[in-house]
Amino acid sequence: MSDTDTLIQTEEVTSLDVPWNVVVNDDPVNLMGYVTFVLTKVFGYDEKKASILMIQVHRQGRSIVWTGEREKAEFYVQQLQGHQLKTTLEKSQ
Amino acid sequence: MKAMPTLEGGLRIDTENFNDWGILRSIVVDANDATTHDLASRMGALLSEEAGGEDWQEYIVPDLREGFHDELAQVGAAIESAIHIADSGPGPIWINRDEVFPWYSALNQARLALEERYHFGPAETISLEGNDPVRRSAFMRSKFYCAIQCLLLDHVMGPSKAPQ
Repeated sequence: MSDTDTLIQTEEVTSLDVPWNVVVNDDPVNLMGYVTFVLTKVFGYDEKKASILMIQVHRQGRSIVWTGEREKAEFYVQQLQGHQLKTTLEKSQ
Repeated sequence: MKAMPTLEGGLRIDTENFNDWGILRSIVVDANDATTHDLASRMGALLSEEAGGEDWQEYIVPDLREGFHDELAQVGAAIESAIHIADSGPGPIWINRDEVFPWYSALNQARLALEERYHFGPAETISLEGNDPVRRSAFMRSKFYCAIQCLLLDHVMGPSKAPQ
């Protein structure tokens, strides 16, 4: 028989999930019309919004094309990389 | 070689000799360039450790690789079939609307691989002065692939313009 007992304590910590950004980066190969086309196809954006984001990629070198929960962000990154756009995932500030 | 939109909303490319078939075959050869890391690996490398880059390499990159490979295989088979039908002489190859994505992808894979190898850079800064013939030839192929992509974007990938 043991003279000591083990006391197990659990602590639950809840915090807000950090949103993640899906970022498309500029590259010298993908055509501007194609980038617009892919953003329209993957996110369902209208042509105007997709064109604004495409111009941002072209002029600023990158554009945050979507922000939200991580799982969905990963799905979008996979879709965009599957269309050969230089896409990364980063924590939203 | 001539390329023109078809009434059905696709694209028709007419080769004039065996060399033209060679240029089309080079799409797959360029895309499969073994001197650079393959496209799927390069995509995977874009994700940081914080973003789960290691898992991405393990779980997502193989799927991307398979997808890119399948698209190239489909285009390669279409080209070889057209060469066979034309008996290696002048002849057409059609890119129908339902085949346009593998074609666009294959051309893009080829251009991305050429860019990775030769670093041509943005179109407005490219200078070919003093370049060796191999690099110049690669550049011309890249321009040719780009021209076909523009035709596909303008005439095939948008809303159907074919008569109902």
